[in-house]
Amino acid sequence: MMTGAVLRAGAWPAVAGLSGVAVVVGGCGAAFPAAATVLLPVCFALLAAAAAFTLDEPASLVVDVTPTGPVRRTRIRAVALLAPLAVGVLVMLAAAGRGLALPWPAAGLALAGNVLLGFAVACVARTRTGEPGPAVATAVVLVLMAPALVPPVARWVRTFPAPGAGGPSPDPVWWTVLAGCAVAIAISLGGRRLPQWRSRVP
Amino acid sequence: MTAVLAPARPGADGGRAAFVPLAVRETRRFARNPVFLFAVAITVAALWASRTTVTDIDDGNWVAAIFLGGFGMMAAFSLTRSLRASEPVVGVTPVTLPARTAALCTVAVVPFACGGLVLLRFVQLIPVSNAAYGAFSPSARVAVLVGQIVIPSLGGPLLGVALGRWVQFPGAAFVLFLLLYGWVSLVTILAIWHPDSAPVAVLRLFAPFAFFTYVLNAGAVTTCRGSPWFFLGWQLALCAIAVLVALLRGAEGPVRARIIRALAIAGVAAAILLVLAGTGGFTHAITA
Repeated sequence: MMTGAVLRAGAWPAVAGLSGVAVVVGGCGAAFPAAATVLLPVCFALLAAAAAFTLDEPASLVVDVTPTGPVRRTRIRAVALLAPLAVGVLVMLAAAGRGLALPWPAAGLALAGNVLLGFAVACVARTRTGEPGPAVATAVVLVLMAPALVPPVARWVRTFPAPGAGGPSPDPVWWTVLAGCAVAIAISLGGRRLPQWRSRVP
Repeated sequence: MTAVLAPARPGADGGRAAFVPLAVRETRRFARNPVFLFAVAITVAALWASRTTVTDIDDGNWVAAIFLGGFGMMAAFSLTRSLRASEPVVGVTPVTLPARTAALCTVAVVPFACGGLVLLRFVQLIPVSNAAYGAFSPSARVAVLVGQIVIPSLGGPLLGVALGRWVQFPGAAFVLFLLLYGWVSLVTILAIWHPDSAPVAVLRLFAPFAFFTYVLNAGAVTTCRGSPWFFLGWQLALCAIAVLVALLRGAEGPVRARIIRALAIAGVAAAILLVLAGTGGFTHAITA
């Protein structure tokens, strides 16, 4: 019962809308293999943005003082991550079905890393605000798109595996990000308490 | 007659008097926006501080469009939305919503001026006489650069204001930014695949930014189909549409009717200019 209520209160329109846009962009990437290495990172960035909205709680003023702890609420909300992950897997299956030659394990790792990065940053920001989604999603998208937007960054860091291309592999980046996200989520859940401004009674 | 007209003048002056401080205030807020300052810093780093030599125009002509235009759009969007919380208070002031929107639109002057500076720097890096501009005439080369550097810097923030006025979703600006980025990339790749196709040329130009040349083999510059001058007209029509759509929010009575009429005219003009941009200029791609 608690699970259903917590899930229902999620920012589903944002998560579903961003996942829907990601399907369109990823679908175009699958349909036009030459553009896949440009469009699939955009699709994954949108999925990371969708993940950043999963913890949004408009009624946080009330919810944060209920007996249901942040660990349980976050665990329930994490179920919503299945939507962006499923969309990403669907897009990758469609691309593979169209004969796109990509290192798929590395692409899967990139998908997991993108989604978890959005969620982890939202977890950290949730300790400060009830609706971290918009700010976190924008920041995460800009960080994830940095290698595409700022070519010198791509010389050092790559966030998506390119078929047969030189340059750095994205795998070490994503393993590091996954480890960092796990630590950030654990710390943010352990230390989440009422923000100072909210603990004061007017 | 004088008696009828006389009372109108103080009102008109009052409107103008309220508009100018509002525009100045919004422009100052925009110029101090961290997202915009970051965009300016990256643009400066890419075109002024960079030690790498720019030899292909496609190495740097998109910098202003992405950062001054795209990031400018996000900054203008957040600026527009930031006023929503104070709407109950601001809404009862004598200044109408369209007047406040018009004041917001003036912030685009800042990235537009920055775009002008970027254009000058770009021409300094790669003079217009350089073969990197492809088979275009000198005047068309200037049109290409204005369309790739200056107009996106103006249009991005205007689009951000329109988006902020009409769309509730707080992440709309970055979603649109990603969609435009993906679309321009997709149609550019399509244009490289089908260099002589007129429909693909129209699709390539059906965007606020378009590449007009590309280099596949070292040294050989391919000039795409399409007219840079008509594309410039299409971009300006898009800017006008963005301003009118933004002004439409909250407009009432005859002002609303006038805006809708102007929108229809701008829409028709944009469609005609897009078709002319796609079908004009070179009728096939030229590699030299």
